[in-house]
Amino acid sequence: MRALIMIVLLAGVLTGVPAPALADPLNVRVAADPPVVSTVLGGHFTITTEVKNAGNAPTGEILAHLNVASIEGSVYVDPEDWSSDRSQQLSLKPGESRKLSWEIQAVNAGLFAAYVVVVPFGDTVNGNEDLTTSPLIRVDVAQRTTLTAGGALPVVLAVPLLIGLAAATVLVRVRRRRA
Amino acid sequence: MLFLFSILLSGVTYLTSTNQALNFLEQRESVNLVLQLAVAVGVLVTLVVSADGISGERERGTLESLLVTPVSRRSIIAGKLIAALTMWFATFGITIPYVWVLARDVGILGQALALGFLVGTLVAIGLGSVGLLISGLCNSNKTSIVASIFLLLILFAPTQLPSGLPQGGFFDVLLRANPVASALAYISSVLVEGQSWTEDLVLLITPLLTAIIAGGALVLAGDRLVKLTPGVNAG
Repeated sequence: MRALIMIVLLAGVLTGVPAPALADPLNVRVAADPPVVSTVLGGHFTITTEVKNAGNAPTGEILAHLNVASIEGSVYVDPEDWSSDRSQQLSLKPGESRKLSWEIQAVNAGLFAAYVVVVPFGDTVNGNEDLTTSPLIRVDVAQRTTLTAGGALPVVLAVPLLIGLAAATVLVRVRRRRA
Repeated sequence: MLFLFSILLSGVTYLTSTNQALNFLEQRESVNLVLQLAVAVGVLVTLVVSADGISGERERGTLESLLVTPVSRRSIIAGKLIAALTMWFATFGITIPYVWVLARDVGILGQALALGFLVGTLVAIGLGSVGLLISGLCNSNKTSIVASIFLLLILFAPTQLPSGLPQGGFFDVLLRANPVASALAYISSVLVEGQSWTEDLVLLITPLLTAIIAGGALVLAGDRLVKLTPGVNAG
């Protein structure tokens, strides 16, 4: 009897319980525009990426993530300073595409690469999935000095000086009157 | 006070123009920084002066002589509000040369000055009226001034968060319900983000409502606010 139960249970396990589903690999393509950006330090610019589901199945939830890296010298890059909104979540039907805009501010001078990587999203992610990356966007940021000390110095010195002199004059007059 | 304020603005302007780390900021952001500083200090001084307007007169024993003059109590209140607002106008006047230095090269001088003046005046009228209401309701001048300063600190707190208020429905409501934060957000929106004047006009609803409601309350309750209270030291 015990053996019969074991056989029935084993048969149930082998036939009735579905094997863990393997998620379809992401088949998305990412295009980026423009290929080159030239700007000055502090300048704002926008890049656009188009994510297309080239597969036959819906993508499910996916995440497009922007990154910026220095490709010249040893400039420290904190991507959060470049863009405060670096992740966009989306899902695409087969053949559907979506344009994503990324607002960026150049906070370092030099030569940089901006790119968007698409990763699967959610607790169905097993690990070891392939990632899809956009073509690199070359960002050339020129150094600039928006203001010069020489230009600001006259006002910086003159205004407190004039107000101080005016206040001192009023004080002296008031004291003379009282005296 | 104005002398110290000019030194503060000189320091900020000089740092912006010489410091490499600050200089990377787009010039519009430097103008925005100076204007926000002017609005903050101008409104603070306006609020403190208005908070002293009635309770201070009571404590110094000068309200009695003011009440026997042939001037209506509403006129006294209006005079107090205008006197407090002159502090904002003086603060703004001192800011003009600094804005000129920072904004002349980017062609936003007129826009920055008009924006700072209009938005700052709106906030100053609203909070100046609130300060006078507090002053009329408090018997002690210290209480009136401390309450007003705390109110201003509460209103300024969201603007001082390292990354501003988080995004989202509740926080958007919180921003728009705060007359100071929403007014400063409007200035940033036009100056830094380059929005048109009408695009984020909704941000000015709360400063406008504050001015209308507090100003209206002053007009309605003016007669009851400007009064002598028993037990206050007249000396």
